[in-house]
Amino acid sequence: MALIFTDPPGEGGAAAKAAAPFTSPRSWSWLGLMPFLAFLVLFLIVPAVSVFSQALRGEDGAFGFASMGEAFSGQNLDAFWFSITFSAGAAAVGAVFGTLLAYVAVSVTRPRWLRNAVTAFSGVAANMGGLPLAFAFLSLLGRQGLGTKLLSGLGFDLYAGDFGLGEVTGLVTVYSYFNIPLMLLVILPAIDGLKPSWKEACSSLGGNGLTYWRRVGLPILAPSILGGFILLFANSFSAYATAAQLTDNSKIVPLRIGFFLGGDVSVGEDAVGYALAAWMIVIMAIAMIFYWALRRRAERWQS
Amino acid sequence: MRDRVFARLISPLILVVAAGFFLLPQFAMLRFALQNIQVIDLRWSNMFEKWSLAPLWSAFSDDQFGRALTLSLKLAVGTGLISLLLLVPTIVWVHLRLPRVRSTVEFMTILPYVIPAIGMVAGIMVIKPHARWFLDSDLSLIPFYVVLALPFTFRSIDSGLKALDLRTLVEASRSLGFGWTRTILHVIVPNLRTAILSCMFLTVAVVLGEYTIADVLLKRTFPAFMGEYRGSDPKGGYGLAILSLVVTTLIFMIIGLVSRPRSARRRRVKGAT
Repeated sequence: MALIFTDPPGEGGAAAKAAAPFTSPRSWSWLGLMPFLAFLVLFLIVPAVSVFSQALRGEDGAFGFASMGEAFSGQNLDAFWFSITFSAGAAAVGAVFGTLLAYVAVSVTRPRWLRNAVTAFSGVAANMGGLPLAFAFLSLLGRQGLGTKLLSGLGFDLYAGDFGLGEVTGLVTVYSYFNIPLMLLVILPAIDGLKPSWKEACSSLGGNGLTYWRRVGLPILAPSILGGFILLFANSFSAYATAAQLTDNSKIVPLRIGFFLGGDVSVGEDAVGYALAAWMIVIMAIAMIFYWALRRRAERWQS
Repeated sequence: MRDRVFARLISPLILVVAAGFFLLPQFAMLRFALQNIQVIDLRWSNMFEKWSLAPLWSAFSDDQFGRALTLSLKLAVGTGLISLLLLVPTIVWVHLRLPRVRSTVEFMTILPYVIPAIGMVAGIMVIKPHARWFLDSDLSLIPFYVVLALPFTFRSIDSGLKALDLRTLVEASRSLGFGWTRTILHVIVPNLRTAILSCMFLTVAVVLGEYTIADVLLKRTFPAFMGEYRGSDPKGGYGLAILSLVVTTLIFMIIGLVSRPRSARRRRVKGAT
């Protein structure tokens, strides 16, 4: 399931800062956070640390990087490349079409309700994933799918090439269903932030529409678009449920982790499964750090 | 000039293509589940024939269905209540006493994004042999679902509290002699009705959509049942998927309507006059 957090971070931070704390700063008030922190540690941090503790343990039980190395070589490395490829592809498609659709939603003013309808639908579709999405695309683009039949009626054989719902092409198509709306929600505030006066300034200085986009519009949107791309990448890379119902392709890293956890491996090999999960957490952490940084950068123009 | 061409021709085209992309898969699933004609025999002439809800009824009558749905409902209620118990006092506290750590706390609530469900369940598998007394119970999923829902639930409560003049409310309540518990229960909670409602709805949506952890831990929740049932009766499985989709969509629509920021509502009123 996708997570949307589109409103800028620290919003209301100003208001919160304006109100001085009740008590002196050197108080015990941070103790009030203990239940929350303890809960997070117990049910999120402990599992995460356990993954690393298993991943960093060799077959003899001693500390070592053997499993981490194994999880990043051979077939496992192929799986990472496959997953990174389709996730990057899905993120690129989502970023381009999400931005385009957001621009359309902002610029088409005539039916007034259109923009609200588009954002409301995006809120639903961005959170769609898992089984229903997989089922929907299986019945549309599966070998016996409705869309496959319609296309063949038009003389186009979808399965003539290397198309498959578990391959890069198929996964990019299916994941676009939640990636495009997610991108739209992320980018909409940035597009709203483009002021008409900038366009006027550009044209009064002799620039045309193209100059405006090349020199003003896109540079201002760039951090938001890049941030959205990274969010979409992370979103696609970690998706398990949709992929699990679409295919049993073990080159998809989350499915591969699932197979290892399912216990269809010999003793000692399960450390590789945990190492795969550990690598995945590392990749997600890097992606989220970049996303967070880019989002802060993007806020500069949103007021 | 170019702008006008874009508005007149290209925008509608993009919107139509997008509508097709987003609606066709849903229609295909609906047809597969509810129309008793194989794709191969489908013609324009029999498009409207043999639609029936029978696959859904037979899915309902499977003896596992009731058990799975009950489990998921219990999980949803448990996840919602624990989320509220955990978040309302914490966020009230942060707003009143620790406003400076607010963005740090917010950052912590998106950690489930860094450690996705499949990573989390890998960790649970490590702990499992040491905590069977807890993890063998189906309801042990609740705390993990609370964590998974955090990015949503934190935001709903946090934005609800932002809209209140919390300090005045609390000062008034305290000076009238209420303790913290009664302040939260009788003063803050009634003012947070909308936020609490959307928090509960969001956890229902999260629990109805969560498949990864349940699948790996072999817990028979509703989504897990759906995936399994599809194996024996694809039409019924797809029918259940449609149903859960309808429920989730309704939930997000209700939240969208209820929790629209007040400023936006006011702007709309102003625009209408």
